[in-house]
Amino acid sequence: MKSVDNNIKFSNINKYQKTKKRLEKWFFIFTMAETMKFILIDKIVSLESGKEIKAVKSVSMAEEYLADHFPTFPVLPGVLLLEGLIESASWLVREAENFAHSMILLSEARNVKYKSFLAPGGRIEYTVEARTIEENISSFTGIGVSDNERIVEAKFGLRHFNLADENSGMAAVDAKVIENMKQRWKLLS
Amino acid sequence: MRWIWIDKFVEFHSGERAVAVKNVTLAEEHLHDHFPGFAVMPETLCIEAMAQTAGILVGEAKNFQEKVILAKIKKAVFYHYVKPGDTLILDAKIESIAPEAASTSGKITLGEKLIAEIDLMFSHIDQNLAGKKFPEENFVFTDTFKSLLQGVLVDGAGSSTPESEQN
Amino acid sequence: MAMSRDEIFGEVQEVLVDALGVDDDEVTAEATLMGDLGAESIDFLDIVFRLEKAFEMKIPREELFPAESLMNNPDFVNNGKLTETGLTELKNKMSYIEIGEFEKDPDINKLGDLFTVNTIVSYIDSKLNAA
Repeated sequence: MKSVDNNIKFSNINKYQKTKKRLEKWFFIFTMAETMKFILIDKIVSLESGKEIKAVKSVSMAEEYLADHFPTFPVLPGVLLLEGLIESASWLVREAENFAHSMILLSEARNVKYKSFLAPGGRIEYTVEARTIEENISSFTGIGVSDNERIVEAKFGLRHFNLADENSGMAAVDAKVIENMKQRWKLLS
Repeated sequence: MRWIWIDKFVEFHSGERAVAVKNVTLAEEHLHDHFPGFAVMPETLCIEAMAQTAGILVGEAKNFQEKVILAKIKKAVFYHYVKPGDTLILDAKIESIAPEAASTSGKITLGEKLIAEIDLMFSHIDQNLAGKKFPEENFVFTDTFKSLLQGVLVDGAGSSTPESEQN
Repeated sequence: MAMSRDEIFGEVQEVLVDALGVDDDEVTAEATLMGDLGAESIDFLDIVFRLEKAFEMKIPREELFPAESLMNNPDFVNNGKLTETGLTELKNKMSYIEIGEFEKDPDINKLGDLFTVNTIVSYIDSKLNAA
């Protein structure tokens, strides 16, 4: 009798865990699909660990901000071109430090020049080279090219840290962010 | 997502200096992506907020006759990050202005804290990009932007305070 | 205000380092703005604004960087080279430097080479010491 009971219990737990996993996966896909509102690269095309990353972004007429920027002359806002460079650099850091930090933020940008416009139908390739990547800071130079034309170039630095560095109570939040970024990495790389 | 990153002007001194306010709220969709699990206002959108503050200041200085476009970020340095619930003050000054371009300096503060220092260059593209043609009308300064200046009256000295704060 | 050429060079060097994001040691006297230091249209304006502040003077962009107006005027350019009128115009505008070398082959593609760090220093020098 005992062994039969154990078998029934075990199969229930198994089923429960499988269902839980499936629900989590769908929940994740659901939330990720909902929140793809601020990602300025579509795909990472190459990565040389700790050294250089290339990523691409296509511009679509369906991107909401284009309606305002500008009506009759839709072009990707300059700061979003910079964001594409920053995101590319951030992935270079995350991969190199094995997702050690949750927060990767811009600490400074200098001599960011906008040389041409990027319009819907266009596709830009960002190339970011690391100058240094240390534990909590890194610096880069980046360019964005579309159709053989240079669109943007920049020099910038990032800072990387965990919220728990200031407040140990935030460790769980760091873990969640890192987990989410690892999932995103799977989609982009 | 509407591409407007300032909520109102609290000071506007034509041709010289403008101060604007931006409220950061969880209702802004992009925050949920940056980052999923802990919302922080992206630094690039802080730069955009400053670009809009300074750009309107520059545009108004030429009566919105020029198409004022961000051409160069001379420097953007960030000291602290920004979270939902924060109210940012953006303070921009015109450093130099010429027919083809303008240069501005600016600070973003949160209460007493200095969040960022952002220095920009704008190009008046009709005077500048030789050979490239742009639509006739000034597509840069939409009604939404111009409406931010409504109620920001100009008094005798060429400076202004919002209607609500005058007696 | 009287400034020695060296002092002027020091200030100009700082302006170029900030405006172009290059290192101190790249900004040599002979370095060309466009070729060596990577300056472009928007940078020229940035440089003019910064020089105005550093030396407390008005600098019409046309005066310091007349290349664009020279190149866009059909009277001054023929077959990719500056004409006699063009050369005279150039000499008038940039009276503070020697353009002998350029005169021998006034190819407009080489016009950029005239704009070196030294050119800026000479311009500032001439304006400060004329006052």
